[in-house]
Amino acid sequence: MGNSDQPRAVLVIPCSGVGKVHGLISREAVYRVTDDLLPGRADTVCLALLVTGDAETRRKVQETPCVTLDGCPKLCALKNVELSGGKIAEGIRVYDAMKRHRGATFGTATELSPEGWAVVDELAAEVAQIAKRPDTV
Amino acid sequence: MTDAFSKVGIISCSGEEIPEGTVARQAVRRVLEALRPQQTVTLCLPLFLAGEEGERRFAREHPTITVDGCSKLCAKRGTEKYSGQVSASLVVSDILGDRARGCRRSTRSEDKADEEAAWLVAERIASEVDALAGSEVGGEPNDSPAAGAARCACGGPSREGELRIKGKSVAIAGLPLIFQHLQKKGLAPGEDCGDVLLKTVRVYHFIDAHEEADYRSALVAAYQTHCQQQPQSWKA
Repeated sequence: MGNSDQPRAVLVIPCSGVGKVHGLISREAVYRVTDDLLPGRADTVCLALLVTGDAETRRKVQETPCVTLDGCPKLCALKNVELSGGKIAEGIRVYDAMKRHRGATFGTATELSPEGWAVVDELAAEVAQIAKRPDTV
Repeated sequence: MTDAFSKVGIISCSGEEIPEGTVARQAVRRVLEALRPQQTVTLCLPLFLAGEEGERRFAREHPTITVDGCSKLCAKRGTEKYSGQVSASLVVSDILGDRARGCRRSTRSEDKADEEAAWLVAERIASEVDALAGSEVGGEPNDSPAAGAARCACGGPSREGELRIKGKSVAIAGLPLIFQHLQKKGLAPGEDCGDVLLKTVRVYHFIDAHEEADYRSALVAAYQTHCQQQPQSWKA
């Protein structure tokens, strides 16, 4: 076991809901993690590819701890990773983070406002912390 | 039903792994918001593939265009598996060719290359919508109040409802659906339904504590109107 502060490999999977700002926030939070906070340690997979049964994608979610980010109560990302036999380290609901910014306007499903990006950064930081947990192996 | 039948469903792949997936998503949004807002709705692919019957039924009953980021064609294959043949299938990597190399996955630092790519694909989608509108829905523009609304990621149309709060107009995403749902559950209109309406709308729309009373009154009145317009369904 290495340095306990060192994040482990993790898959971060958003719902990417196309109809609302929540979906874009989930998607951008994932890129913040994979591209900026945990480059080389965190990765993502195409949720649609997973749901269509792609063997390689299923293998990835089964072998790597997954953090899902869902925009709506349907929890598409969480449920589909579970259905694929994936290892869920944490299921995050974007709405919970948005609630901490009462009264804010987050942008649209196309473009985020500064407050929308703030939620993205908060969610990404949360994922990075989860990646440091001992159970995220 | 004419409202529903005059629309084309556009399904974008989620494509989180590749820039083309983001281009597909952004292009679809541009069609919904700017190019063909009256004629199009979108369906959430992961939700569709996960078995949401509302989404699948829509795709069975309406012309559908899929927009895939890559040759794996998740959107097209998934749609055809559950809802029959799609009306048109577009692939971002085919449309953009080498241009896709300059695109990024995140929109945070979106630049000219990303913008141009999204618009290029959006124009192609709009062309397909026009072709379908001409052949399948007679090309008639739909000018109903909800016609421009995008279909939401939660399995239903995200049509907005409007409330007057302290003299200002406030848009509530999905309000007509919320009313329909509560009506089906048997919620009778009147002052007593205020708390239920508030609680439900709050899930989707932030309501400040000091505006609660205003929202409650406006929702009670709007729900009353809704039920008067469709009296059979709540009595049933």
